[in-house]
Amino acid sequence: MTRAQRKAKTPKGASALSVAPSRYHTRKTAVRDALPYVALAPAFLTFVLLLGYPVLLLFLTSLQQFGLYELFNNITTWIGVDNYYNLIFNSPAGLPDFATVLFRTVVFMAVNVALTIGLGTLVALLLAKLDRWVRLTLTSAMVLAWAMPVVTGAVLFQWLFDSKLGVVNWAISSLGIFGDYLNHSWFATGLTTFAVITLLIVWQAIPFVALSLYAGILSIPKELPEAARVDGASERQIFSNITLPALRPLLMMLIFLSVIWDFKVYTQIAAMNQGGPDGQTITLSLYTQILGPSDGQFGVAAAAAVIMMLLLLVVLVPYIRRMVKSQEEQ
Amino acid sequence: MSRRTSRIVTNGLGILASLFFVFPVYWMVNTAFKSADQFQTYTPVFIPIPTLDNFIKALGEQNLAQLVRNSVFVTVSTVLLSLVVGFLAAVTLARVRFRGRASFLLLVAVAQMAPFEALLIPIFLAIRNGLPGPFGVLPIGYNQVPTLILIYFIFTLPFTIWSLRGFVAGIPVDLEEAALVDGASRFQAFMKVTLPLLAPGLVATSIFCFITAWNEYLYAYTFMADPTNYTLPVWLVSFRSNFGTDWGATMAASTLFTLPVLIFFLIVQRRMVGGLTQGAVRG
Repeated sequence: MTRAQRKAKTPKGASALSVAPSRYHTRKTAVRDALPYVALAPAFLTFVLLLGYPVLLLFLTSLQQFGLYELFNNITTWIGVDNYYNLIFNSPAGLPDFATVLFRTVVFMAVNVALTIGLGTLVALLLAKLDRWVRLTLTSAMVLAWAMPVVTGAVLFQWLFDSKLGVVNWAISSLGIFGDYLNHSWFATGLTTFAVITLLIVWQAIPFVALSLYAGILSIPKELPEAARVDGASERQIFSNITLPALRPLLMMLIFLSVIWDFKVYTQIAAMNQGGPDGQTITLSLYTQILGPSDGQFGVAAAAAVIMMLLLLVVLVPYIRRMVKSQEEQ
Repeated sequence: MSRRTSRIVTNGLGILASLFFVFPVYWMVNTAFKSADQFQTYTPVFIPIPTLDNFIKALGEQNLAQLVRNSVFVTVSTVLLSLVVGFLAAVTLARVRFRGRASFLLLVAVAQMAPFEALLIPIFLAIRNGLPGPFGVLPIGYNQVPTLILIYFIFTLPFTIWSLRGFVAGIPVDLEEAALVDGASRFQAFMKVTLPLLAPGLVATSIFCFITAWNEYLYAYTFMADPTNYTLPVWLVSFRSNFGTDWGATMAASTLFTLPVLIFFLIVQRRMVGGLTQGAVRG
């Protein structure tokens, strides 16, 4: 029902029509007007106190000298942007420097997003072409991977890629193309550790992307590709001129979401190898966790978290704008 | 390439892709049922002679009962809290026009995308020593299990509102109005007409909350110090290090931890689609 229709149904003059608007009636209307706000109050207070306040506190903490000493003695020392300066120019002891971590996080995110979206699209196109029973098999298989808790996934991939008894090393060795992989340690270098983490993330992220895009493909009217085929268009032309444009809005949302998720990944990396070996897989999320609660350098950690949040805003703002718009159109 | 061969190739690719997704899960369950001499070999055993030893070992882990209780307590409380607060807000947003409605929707959307990984430090600092004022009596703070309920509540509330709002909006107001014409009160109309139609939506939404709270690791790991206060994800990761190379027991524990999530996930998969399409047909 549109707003106009609703207005027409309850004309403003309704109360004037009633014989004698008693005090009882006006009080009742006042209660009715207040009701939506009463119902929303718990949710609103939750957002303000449990979300708004932490965001404010994050900014304030990033401008304070805030270590364990200040924490235990309840001292507030404002130091302006020193935390940001120290974070960027003097790397914290025992940790990789901020520029390295930031660069690493962005590259890691880009690789994961590209693989997830690229492979997810391919799987969606494949789903549309499969026979019914194969499609059912693939869908079920993907739901299994999708449903797996992230922590389990991380532990499981450690086992699959275990140096001695892992099935992956056995399989690669048996293939014989890449030589002997028995006792090869995947977690000895940062790059191969990242490779295993990426495989885990992509393995779990493709199902969501592929199934969403497949639903999108199903909603394209069948007549369009059929007509194009009759006119002699190739499969590739159909994809780039019909399927892709139709999927573009959905694809954009999926890319936004993947960027957001892959930029702030914590659990997979932490559970796989705690950011190791030698801090080589520490990304921004791990960096703030280690600096803050573990090392007690809350001020510097907050500065890192603020930078992380500002970078996320670049993707979050257009994403939220689209989401609200699509919800209003419903 | 003829039509027939191209069909075989595509279906072959489909099977390969299925294997890629299924294999790790199969390997987890497979290892869980292996005896030590079957998983400690260089040549892997693909079809084991099943034994329950690993499950017995994993379940015999000290404090496990306590940890399961922690996880269930935190998860169920989160779901209930989120559902009650979220339901009130969702019905209001879907059914009532009021000033500030659009802004509140925007607030929900923003809250839903809040990067909690970046908010760890302020949340840690704010509730480490408990809540301020009269709320100080609540068992909230560092190393207190109920703290996690509060944290997961704010994680799940935005989605709960967003999702329930969609489900309520999907039920035509006309149904309720018809009941009103038939002499039902507003409350009766809502309870007897809208609520039953909303059941799939409530189930789907609470399952999402369940999965989020059940799987969460970062905050549980940061806030819980005593091993008896861990939730299952923290235990599972530490279990790996405690048991060293006992992959059989680790995989058995992983399987047990995954099982409830998997079952619930499969329910949502069906109900989500079913609930949405049913509403469209019946309305």
